[in-house]
Amino acid sequence: MSIGFWEVLALLVLVGTGLAVVRLQNAVHAALALIANFLVVAGVYVALEARFVAMIQIIVYAGAIVVLFLFVIMLLSAASANVGQDLLPRLGWVAALGALGLAGVLTYAVTRFQPPAGTPALGGGLPQALGPLLYDPEKWLYALLVVGFLLLVATVAAVVLIEPERIVAATSHPAHLRQDQKPSPSAGQQKDEKAVVKR
Amino acid sequence: MIWLVASALLFSIGAYGALTRRTAILMFLSIELMLNAAALSLISFSKLTGSLEAQVVVLFIIAIAAAEVAVGLGLIVAIFRRRETTSVDELRQLRG
Amino acid sequence: MQETFLLPLIIALPLLGFVLLGLFGKRIGEPAAGWLASLLVLGSFLLGLVLLLQGGGRWALPDWLPGIPFSLNLDNLSGVMLMVVTGVGFLIHVWAIGYMHGDPGYSRFFSYFNLFIAAMLVLILGDSLPVVFIGWEGVGLASYLLIGFWYHERINVDSARKAFIVNRIGDLGFLLAMGLLWSMFGTLSISELAEKVEAGGYSFTTLTLAGFFLLVGAMGKSAQVPLMVWLPDAMAGPTPVSALIHAATMVTAGVYLLVRHAFMLHDDAYLSGLIVFIGLLTAFYGALCSLGQWDIKRIVAYTTLSQLGFMFVAVGVGAYWVAIFHIVTHAFFKALMFMTSGSVIHALGGEQDVRKMGGMRKYLPATHLHGLIATFASGGLVPLAGFWSKDAILAYSFEYGPWLWFLMLLASVLAALYSIRWYVLVFWGEYRGKEHPHESPAVMLWPNHILMGGAIGVGFMGLPYVIDYKNFIEPFLTKAIGEFPHEKLPVLTEWVLILTSAVVAIAALWWGFRFFQQKMPAWYERFQAAALQGFYADALYNTLLVNPAKGLAELLFGGDKGLLAGFAGLGNLVGGLGSLLARLETGSLRFYLAGLLVALVLLVGWGVLR
Repeated sequence: MSIGFWEVLALLVLVGTGLAVVRLQNAVHAALALIANFLVVAGVYVALEARFVAMIQIIVYAGAIVVLFLFVIMLLSAASANVGQDLLPRLGWVAALGALGLAGVLTYAVTRFQPPAGTPALGGGLPQALGPLLYDPEKWLYALLVVGFLLLVATVAAVVLIEPERIVAATSHPAHLRQDQKPSPSAGQQKDEKAVVKR
Repeated sequence: MIWLVASALLFSIGAYGALTRRTAILMFLSIELMLNAAALSLISFSKLTGSLEAQVVVLFIIAIAAAEVAVGLGLIVAIFRRRETTSVDELRQLRG
Repeated sequence: MQETFLLPLIIALPLLGFVLLGLFGKRIGEPAAGWLASLLVLGSFLLGLVLLLQGGGRWALPDWLPGIPFSLNLDNLSGVMLMVVTGVGFLIHVWAIGYMHGDPGYSRFFSYFNLFIAAMLVLILGDSLPVVFIGWEGVGLASYLLIGFWYHERINVDSARKAFIVNRIGDLGFLLAMGLLWSMFGTLSISELAEKVEAGGYSFTTLTLAGFFLLVGAMGKSAQVPLMVWLPDAMAGPTPVSALIHAATMVTAGVYLLVRHAFMLHDDAYLSGLIVFIGLLTAFYGALCSLGQWDIKRIVAYTTLSQLGFMFVAVGVGAYWVAIFHIVTHAFFKALMFMTSGSVIHALGGEQDVRKMGGMRKYLPATHLHGLIATFASGGLVPLAGFWSKDAILAYSFEYGPWLWFLMLLASVLAALYSIRWYVLVFWGEYRGKEHPHESPAVMLWPNHILMGGAIGVGFMGLPYVIDYKNFIEPFLTKAIGEFPHEKLPVLTEWVLILTSAVVAIAALWWGFRFFQQKMPAWYERFQAAALQGFYADALYNTLLVNPAKGLAELLFGGDKGLLAGFAGLGNLVGGLGSLLARLETGSLRFYLAGLLVALVLLVGWGVLR
């Protein structure tokens, strides 16, 4: 693949947003940077004849996963990145060095990769091409089913993690029906509550 | 090719972020970046070797990443509801 | 000689006593424990007598060890020893019933005493050298237990240990001899060895070497110079122990061992000459040291040493039956001497220093008689027992060489001197102490009466041929030891020798009697000071051997402690290392991630760069 203007631009944006993700102090900004990164990656996917994956990238990865991140950031009001004391002050340098080393080693590794000659065409990576692979029992069908199951498990896990006893308690004994609740000082107020709920 | 190098770079950047960020959520965000870099490298290989199987794998990666994020964020929420701080350095119970 | 199970029974009786008294002694109590022990020994005596009169007996357990049977042999030689050990042993047991009265360890004492008898019997009756060795070690053990009987006193324990350790050196010789003999002849049964050696066809030097090692063993047990240092200190044990073990029986085991192996010695001039030399040295050393001692038991102990030297000389000149004969006579008068000393100690409430004795003839008439007879027998006064056996030794020594006869005569003079010195300092003169002496009870007197009779009469078994009275013991023993052709001295020479030794003994006794009553002249005082220290033998051994060994032991102990400290240090090192590594356990997630990253870089790098 030749490296033209768009490729260089895409590369710059990728690296730029990547750095933004890891350096921005505001969590919301960082998440938004990540979305940008993912979108550009989706574009790269299209260029690499993986259009279906590109769409999934946009819808699921950028559109659901990072959005979920944003939800949680809002929920916890964790927008600030500076919390508490930095207990490992010199870690930054170690991390930088490590990352540089990693980059160097990996880059060296990939430059040693010799692509095989005579590659068949990918056909753009369309669903028609991927389908037979995904749903073939001798290929990826079972993996697909397992992943589906995994998603189900993750859903249940996410629910469990928010402490179901409180949910169960809340649902079986709605607050207005609680026996141990003291009678409110003004009867009128109580009536209003009951009236509201009954409705 | 160039996108392989890009994925290497992104992976490293994500690693740097995973170590550097003190908030759990931002650390997790960096990890997602790393995951994405891996997916990008797979797609590059798919193009280079002409194999569609790599793209299938990337689909799985994305699906699993979704599941992982769901659970992971649930965990973060559960932990930090109790502690009222999102600092990762506060989690020292594995110290021995 | 038939196979008979009575033979192991002889050993089993006192062994049973050991076990019973050891387990139930406290319940059996005084004086029943003592009577039980004594009667068991008497039983062994009677059984042995019966068997001996029948001509002896054998017993064996084949293949007890591979190729080595557990065999016992009662022949004339071991029979005589058996009679002495059990007979005199019985008398001393009975005497000890009185002597040990009131001691808190009464039954323990008799238990050990019986153990000793049992072990000594194994030693004597053993036909197979490993069996003899078991008895050898057993008597050493019993000796250790009995010397250190009153173990609350440090000196007793130290003496016991000293005896055991010095004996051990001898034991090494015994073991080496066994090894050599086994490799040479393939058998360790003494009777078989005798046959094989007579048959010939072996290396003379190797046999000499084996005999030398046996000699070393004998030297340890019989306290010959240079392994004699334990015997004086062994007097730390109760007097019956000194009488039985360190006078009459155990110390003669070495002589017995050599006589048993006469077939190895009689052709070997070098070995025999060495034995004569050692015996001479010991005879003089013991006599001279005895003349300087102030402790009544040590006086007698050194006299024993001297007489053991006599026995060794007898073995060296080839007078094997004479050596045994001397064991017999010596057993009687030496045990008598010890027990008389014990009676005196008992009478004076525990006093053992002769400087605080004297005049006992007035207070203890019966004991005095015992002492007088013991002195005469020990001094070699004709016609008591000690004279005849000593005279036989002198006769054989004369055959070996007139110079030897002369030296032995000199030694006999010293023997007379030390005997009379003992007598004079204890019984004669005026009492120099402050106690109220009382005669011993009957239970202690009667054994001494019997011993006294023996000291007087036992010598008549072995009269020289020139006297027209049958010599019973020589043929009796020679039958078992072996016929070694021996030219008899001319009649005249024999009579001259007899008369000379008789006269010399009387003269020495008389002169000593006068000399030791006076105040000691200066030269004697100087001599006496050196003799008291055993002519500094102990000091010499301490400097040359004991202290260096102690130093080495301290060094090794320190090194061992250091080594352990070193290991502990090693442990600390590992601990320190662990602490260092534990600092990686920060519990900090980011720290761990950093570790992961570094590892990842390294791994990938390594993978890529290969």
